[in-house]
Amino acid sequence: MVLDTVSSTGRRIEVDTPSAEARLVERAQAQDETAFEQIMNLYADRLYNYLLRMVGNPADAEDLLQEVFLRAYQGLPNFDGRASLSTWLYRIATNLCIDHQRRRARRVQTVSYLAGEDEDGEPSEWEFPDLQTPDPMESALNRELQQVVEQAISLLSPKLRTVLLLYDVENLSYEEIARVLNIPIGTVKSRLNHARGQIQKHVEAYLRGESK
Amino acid sequence: MNCTRYARWFWDDLEGRLSAAQAQELRAHVQACPRCQRQWEAARATYQALRGLPRLRAPERLIQQTRARIRAASTPKPVAAWWKRVALAPALGILAAAAWWGWLAINSAIMHPDTMASQNTENWVELHEQLELADWSPTPTPRYFITTGYTR
Repeated sequence: MVLDTVSSTGRRIEVDTPSAEARLVERAQAQDETAFEQIMNLYADRLYNYLLRMVGNPADAEDLLQEVFLRAYQGLPNFDGRASLSTWLYRIATNLCIDHQRRRARRVQTVSYLAGEDEDGEPSEWEFPDLQTPDPMESALNRELQQVVEQAISLLSPKLRTVLLLYDVENLSYEEIARVLNIPIGTVKSRLNHARGQIQKHVEAYLRGESK
Repeated sequence: MNCTRYARWFWDDLEGRLSAAQAQELRAHVQACPRCQRQWEAARATYQALRGLPRLRAPERLIQQTRARIRAASTPKPVAAWWKRVALAPALGILAAAAWWGWLAINSAIMHPDTMASQNTENWVELHEQLELADWSPTPTPRYFITTGYTR
């Protein structure tokens, strides 16, 4: 798995192989503060986007991201490297999301974070950092369709949403998701099919002009 | 093959998991079936939209805050507090020992031989009175019973 090479600050992180990641983890386990900061820079954007779509609002996503890194820092001495660092971090994030959802009353997230405002009261600007390989076809998609998909994702059950986001958005493999969620690969595939099917129905309705 | 089976191939095709023959068969069916064509278009649009979802950057202040929290959490606690806790155990032990010693001293004073004899005498007097012998034995002691050979 090739890791992202650009941090949230735009700083290039020289971690692009599993062995490099393992060395980074070893340094962090040896109380190298700089190494852990590199890990934070490396995963902050990915985890933030995952958490944002899982919980539905930036404030909660920010709180949870801090908690993810805190727990990771505290648990790093016990990290044995059997799972990849990303799998481990997503697992922490997912567990925190589950706790978060249990704590809060079950309610439908009707406010889309797409139309949110930042701390200065200005409309949030979506950025497109080069965290992923740009796909020429993506540029053809309009914003409206993306909003339909975002809305459809928010309507999924947490179980289906987790699998969909980890596979289709965060690009984890079936095996990695199975390890994150501690479920069989067959269950991952089943949930993914269900989730995609539900999203697809919304998109189909949108394309037929039945909904926006 | 029915439409349901082809619908299951949509995502496999989008992810490049179908063989060339399967992909060709799917396309042929989609072109001939309006319903599957609509679903195919929806699946493709969904696939592309999911991969093209905008990605936000985590706020820089958030990383800074996290960094500060981690540093605060990793800062060792003051040595004085640690020594206070360590010193507390022997201090409490000494205090407990002193209290026990004091209790022993007080109790041993109560149980002094003279005190014990006096207490025994009183007990015997009480017993003696109960036996209605007090009127002719003004100073009953345990020795009294021995010397007099009194038995009930």
